[in-house]
Amino acid sequence: MDLQPIHPEPTSFVKKYLFSTDHKVIAKQFLWTGMIFLFIGGVLAMWIRWQWGFPNQPVPAILGGALLSDSDGIIGPATYASVFTQHGLIMIFFAITPALIGCFGNFCIPLMIGARDMAFPKLNMLSYWTFLLSCILVLASFFPDMGGAAAGWTTYPPLSTNVGTPGWGQTLMVMAIFVTGSATIMGSINYVTTVIRLRAPGMTYMRMPGTVWGLWLTAILNVLFVPVLAGGAVLLLLDRLFGTEFFMAGASGNGDPILFQHLFWIFGHPEVYILILPAWGIMTDLMSFFSRKPAYWFKGSVYAMIGVTILSAVVYGHHMFLTGMSPLLGHTFMLLTLIISVPAEMLFLNWLHTMWHGSIRLTVPMLFALGSVFVFGLGGLTGIYLGTISTDIYLHDTMFVVGHFHFTMAAATFLGTFAAIYHWYPKMFGRKMNVTAGKVHFWGSVVFITLVFGGQMLVGYAGQQRRLWDPYQYTFLEHLADLNLWTSYAAFALGIFQVPFVVNFIGSMIRGPKAEANPWELGTLEWTLPSPPPNYNFAEMPKVYRGPHEYNNPEVKRVLGKDWIGQSELMPGEQEPVESSQQEAGSDREAE
Amino acid sequence: MAVTMPIDPIQSEPNRAAILHSEQIHTRTTSSVGMIIFLGSWAVMFASLFFGYGMHRTASVSWPPPGFEPLPLLVPGINTLLIILSSVFLHVAGQQFRQGNGRLSNRWLSGTILLGAVFLALQLSVWTALWQSGMTLRSGGFASYFYLLTVFHALHVIVGLGLLGWVGLMQRRVSAEIKQPVRLGLATMFWHFVGVAWVLTYTFVYVL
Repeated sequence: MDLQPIHPEPTSFVKKYLFSTDHKVIAKQFLWTGMIFLFIGGVLAMWIRWQWGFPNQPVPAILGGALLSDSDGIIGPATYASVFTQHGLIMIFFAITPALIGCFGNFCIPLMIGARDMAFPKLNMLSYWTFLLSCILVLASFFPDMGGAAAGWTTYPPLSTNVGTPGWGQTLMVMAIFVTGSATIMGSINYVTTVIRLRAPGMTYMRMPGTVWGLWLTAILNVLFVPVLAGGAVLLLLDRLFGTEFFMAGASGNGDPILFQHLFWIFGHPEVYILILPAWGIMTDLMSFFSRKPAYWFKGSVYAMIGVTILSAVVYGHHMFLTGMSPLLGHTFMLLTLIISVPAEMLFLNWLHTMWHGSIRLTVPMLFALGSVFVFGLGGLTGIYLGTISTDIYLHDTMFVVGHFHFTMAAATFLGTFAAIYHWYPKMFGRKMNVTAGKVHFWGSVVFITLVFGGQMLVGYAGQQRRLWDPYQYTFLEHLADLNLWTSYAAFALGIFQVPFVVNFIGSMIRGPKAEANPWELGTLEWTLPSPPPNYNFAEMPKVYRGPHEYNNPEVKRVLGKDWIGQSELMPGEQEPVESSQQEAGSDREAE
Repeated sequence: MAVTMPIDPIQSEPNRAAILHSEQIHTRTTSSVGMIIFLGSWAVMFASLFFGYGMHRTASVSWPPPGFEPLPLLVPGINTLLIILSSVFLHVAGQQFRQGNGRLSNRWLSGTILLGAVFLALQLSVWTALWQSGMTLRSGGFASYFYLLTVFHALHVIVGLGLLGWVGLMQRRVSAEIKQPVRLGLATMFWHFVGVAWVLTYTFVYVL
């Protein structure tokens, strides 16, 4: 019985590429938008590094110094505050979120669970266009007279109220956060429902690839916690626009600025896992795919991800140790925070065990997955220092924090995103990327990303506060100028090493060799389709007989002569299990 | 691998009605799951606003804080009864619809909408009275939270009324038969959610 009818392919340009309801097209829209904002956020990062490496010198033309013509290219303190605020918000909400969750959530979920589209295709389209509206708000926030948003990415009041940042820049940015939150909620409702309802017959939860697990758990966290951020943004907007007193304390009101920190971090800590869970899921899969071995204790990895998902909701207080929190509460949060390292270790050990004795193929996606594991390891280990109250008191608000969260949220997620791009590029665009350029991109990225964020950690450990416009105004930081300078050089090198990627990405679309249906020899469902897949994905709905990581099974090798078998592929002579057809009928009987 | 465009099973198979029926049930369940997830998400949004309210309230020296009169109980109390009654009406409308009495169902639906509109009118009178007594948005945290929670809820009432009105209009179309149960079901879930949110608002903001 076919419960997902095939829709005719749209023919007009507008319906096919702009207002498309096809999840694969929407995925590409998210990817392109995310990459444009990744570039903007990257340029802003270069400006920050320029200011720390060469304080008060004009930004050179190659880094976009002409945009600062009002001040002869010099980044003044006010501009600097705007630059780091916008860099943070853009990278998190407008670069990683669309590129990793928006793009690969849309692209992978239906293809990997065997569905013809998302559960609510129109809502999916609306989600993208709402997201685009928020992007326009962000761009608009750069230009108002009194400067752009400048209250830091955390947008703490009173700095983010009219007292700290008057003018429309901050208001537009908070609006953008609210609108992008709405888009995320729409998209996540779609992801969660799609996984619950549209899995192909036989695709049990434990047969779903790790990628889908990661994206699904991310969507669940998004559905539960983005509304809290949206709530905080609404309160902030009311304070800014209508003079309510939610956050203003002291002479001007009896509100409570700490409330915003609560709301922000109730969302903000899950957000860390929202960003990393898809990458973890993808890493779990890629480790198995390219070690040509079943994922070691796959269920354990899934349980670990579920455990992290649950724990992530109850640890947010570790961002607020210095707000006068009661010691009992503080120690509870510290304990819960440190417990997260247990499931995280489970995942790490599973990845290592998967590779152990595998026939590892160091393809470009595998390299990026390994790089992601490496930098997440660094970020995770240094997180222990920040989750522990006694060390956090000293390291709080230093560059050490900045280095830590860049390793986890920036380095690990971006390397994970690149792994995903290199991995699914043939399926998305029907062409293959250049391997040499990919490897150059990988080695350049992983070496310099480690140096940049490692440099941040070192200066932070030496006492440099975060968000300082000119750190060398303080004599005790003067000796860090050289370290900062070399870190800046590493950052510029990191930027340069993204050029091979851009050239490869766009060039391969035009000139890359045509990709066959299954270039990596993998068993998950999307590789049974032609590259790129038709708009209805599956001509015939697949039936799933096994898990996603069936590699190097001796029996399969003997009978089929290859080291993998597809999830919907039957061995010669293998009986079709009865359960799969029963399950499909059962799900509808429940519904009645 | 060559893939040919398959024949649409709905066109080709003889038991078209049976397939349409099962597809309808599948769609209805899927949309209900989506709606439940959405309402769960939105409940967290309400909860986060109530969290702020709770923080403000526990930090306050007295409740209502010095300089504020206690909030009126009578009119909002009537409103609580109205909104519970409207949910009952909507429930009856759904029952009638499932029994095939489209016209009767629409009457109960109209009753629901009417009750919702009266709710809004009474709520408006409460706001006006308070505003005229000098409690504006700028009067401090107590007033901020009061208007935030009640206006935020009223916006949901307006959206709910829009949904119900749309469902009622669609009921008159013959071609809408297939999707109508889905629409009515989703609007009903949303309306009940708005009702529960009001009962909580009334309890925590007005009574306690």
